[in-house]
Amino acid sequence: MSDATFESRRLSPRTRLALGVFARYATIIGLVGMIAAFSVLSPRAFPTLNNFTNVLNQASLAVIISGGLTLAVIVGELDLSVGFAASLHGVLVTGLIVSNQIPVPVAILIVLLLGALVGYVNGLIVTRLKVNSVIATLGVGTILTGLAFAYASGVPIVAGVPESFLQISLGRWLFGIPNNILIMAVVLGSLWVLVERTSIGQEIQAVGGNPAAARLAGIDVARIKTLGFVISGVCAALTGVLLSSRLGSGTTNAADSYLMTAFAAVFLGSATLRDGEFHIVGTLIGALIIAFGFNGLNIFGAPTFSQYIFQGAILIVAVGLSSLGRIIAES
Amino acid sequence: MLTHDDTRSEAGTAGLPLVSARELSKTFGGVQALKGVSIDIVPGEVHGLVGANGAGKSTLIRILAGLIVPDGGEIRVDGRPVSLPDPSAATALGMSFIHQELAFVPGMTVLENITLGIPKPSRFGMVDWKATEREIAPIAARVGITAPLSANVSGLSTAENWLVNICRALVRKARLIVMDEPTASLSADEVEKLFTIVEGLSASGVAVLYVSHRLDEILRLCDRVTVFRDGRSVAGFERTDLAHGRLVEAIVGGKVDRLESRHEQATIADVVLSVRGVASLPMVRDVSLDLHRGEVLGIGGLVGAGRSELARLIFGADRLDAGSMMLDGRPYAPRSPSAAVKAGVGLVPEERRTEALILTKSIAFNALLANLEKIVRSPLLPLIDGQKRKTLAEAIMRDLAVKTDSIDKAVGKLSGGNQQKVVIGRWLLKRPRVLILDEPTRGVDIGARAEIHRLIRKLADDGMAVIVISSDPDELPDLSDRVLVMAEGCVVRELRGEAISRTAIIEASYRAKEQSGKR
Repeated sequence: MSDATFESRRLSPRTRLALGVFARYATIIGLVGMIAAFSVLSPRAFPTLNNFTNVLNQASLAVIISGGLTLAVIVGELDLSVGFAASLHGVLVTGLIVSNQIPVPVAILIVLLLGALVGYVNGLIVTRLKVNSVIATLGVGTILTGLAFAYASGVPIVAGVPESFLQISLGRWLFGIPNNILIMAVVLGSLWVLVERTSIGQEIQAVGGNPAAARLAGIDVARIKTLGFVISGVCAALTGVLLSSRLGSGTTNAADSYLMTAFAAVFLGSATLRDGEFHIVGTLIGALIIAFGFNGLNIFGAPTFSQYIFQGAILIVAVGLSSLGRIIAES
Repeated sequence: MLTHDDTRSEAGTAGLPLVSARELSKTFGGVQALKGVSIDIVPGEVHGLVGANGAGKSTLIRILAGLIVPDGGEIRVDGRPVSLPDPSAATALGMSFIHQELAFVPGMTVLENITLGIPKPSRFGMVDWKATEREIAPIAARVGITAPLSANVSGLSTAENWLVNICRALVRKARLIVMDEPTASLSADEVEKLFTIVEGLSASGVAVLYVSHRLDEILRLCDRVTVFRDGRSVAGFERTDLAHGRLVEAIVGGKVDRLESRHEQATIADVVLSVRGVASLPMVRDVSLDLHRGEVLGIGGLVGAGRSELARLIFGADRLDAGSMMLDGRPYAPRSPSAAVKAGVGLVPEERRTEALILTKSIAFNALLANLEKIVRSPLLPLIDGQKRKTLAEAIMRDLAVKTDSIDKAVGKLSGGNQQKVVIGRWLLKRPRVLILDEPTRGVDIGARAEIHRLIRKLADDGMAVIVISSDPDELPDLSDRVLVMAEGCVVRELRGEAISRTAIIEASYRAKEQSGKR
């Protein structure tokens, strides 16, 4: 006799069906509605190919970091270190290139491996020391911020950033599509295949669904959880690299705010199409809602404070929809 | 303590029904769970409700509890038509429900749990716990709660939890107490205690609706029995015409075959798993056993004898404190269940909903969870081959006769028997050297139980070494080539061939307990 059955008891089958449809499609309806509304209100600035490309380009980093975070939450953990990790890795990659004269591809590879290492450490702390993941990743994230300050003394690394590094974000290698959008598509596509179409993905979903049952089915739960953190860590590092390339500098704290965006996107995503279950396509839609929302606010010249209010409100709405979906799924 | 009153059934049947349900029907998303069930419960009777899983028993209970609203039919209480839109309406009419999974607030005391949610005497705006205790104590004594009311509920045994729940019902002035599979997790002596309580309740005029798969309990305890089959009430028995065979026939809707085959030669074959002096304190103290190829080894004993813990130990889920194991002649010391699975050991856990299945995921997902290597395109590129997945999952469902329209249906929507088949199917496909089944037919209807038994027998005949743990004394004699009886974390008796019987198992479980002189 769970709370869920108590909730559903008062709902007629028709209401429950309607609520279910609403909870599943609310985010998509919201996204389409928002685009339609902005298009009507600002027919010249908003509904243009240029603006849409711009929005996608802006959203690409958020989508990548959210995609990684999705893996961590699917295995049933939270990773609060993603924003701080992205900031540190952004500073590191610029530092390695500018100060240590390391070739750009090598520097990026090193930073991605470090991202994996951060994820691995998160995973070890959570699975071996049995520390709650909120605390573990908050602690690790704070340490990472400290390391970023120690490395750059809090001063942005601006001078001497080579053109080849900047071109990663600025370039359009294929059909004139901005590189960041291409990279986002590749990363997200890979994550989707991993989760939905591979045996490892089945294990990842099993661990998130019922860790005790997954363990007794012979799955190495600690390994799968650690893998979730590692993927989250690599995606955060990649986001940091791309952000530095876009900004043309390595700045401590530059990517911190991605934490909120990523959580909002992931929870919005869990309310999309599936009943409160985290998944990659959902995360993409969640991230797009946030990106178009910001874009619209910008076009209408909304003040900065409204963006914070928008983001906070959308996080709450997202988690609300997500738990509504779960209540309906369990009834 | 209450005493048994011989006049109860007479007084009962003569009077007006306390609760009377007529032609209740209920459809869940296209599936008709109830097609028209009727039941009369008179004051002071113990009314048995039996039927296969999916027969509609739980749906009826949920309707009476006000958790779901029926599509059609009528419920009368004291002869007056009532509607039960929510649980508080059911409570107000004097109906109380005790479920398999007892709901308690851990960390709170017995008294706090009993009085949770009802008005309590207060002084200066604060709860007067002394006065509350004075009110509750006589009722607690009446149902036989020996633990102090100030004790934390977390420290109570399952049987004591039952008593607390019954007390909770009486404090709420319950006139009908519905008990759903009350003995599923009780040991034999706890069951006896529960029977005394039920008889006492009945004598004092409280009606009990007793829902159970255990027919011996129904036969012993109930004044009248209603049988459900496929969403209909198909038979009603008075105490005088109750008989095991007739009940089974009514439940199944035909005759049931008894399992005949038994491997007399099994013990001569090779030893697959050899366990020497293993311990995992405090539950497993010193166990040695040899498990042979093609053998079904039953492990009997009382709840708490350390049987499930032994299974977890062999499966690598718990740590080994002492002793050693050999699998196929090689040292075997699994550090985790995944190591045990790799070495060729499988486990069907005791609690299928919490330990075996991911309820929101599909049948195929759950059945294939231990067999992912069989559905990928290649070991190097672990992409799932949809065709392989479908073929394998459908083959399992067909072999096990799982009743479902699609392999993509959420496993949580299946009945208990079908859920258990999905778990067994997982290992059927995996073909481990050793398979341990912990209470494989608990909460499973008679038809599915016979099928599961046949399946276990077939696995052994094909050469698998099987361990079956069961608290149901009727199950092991049907199934096992050899039975080990455990008590207090040790093996206390080995039974073979003709010596295996229900009485021998029970006797060995109790004899050992007396000898060890504990508890």
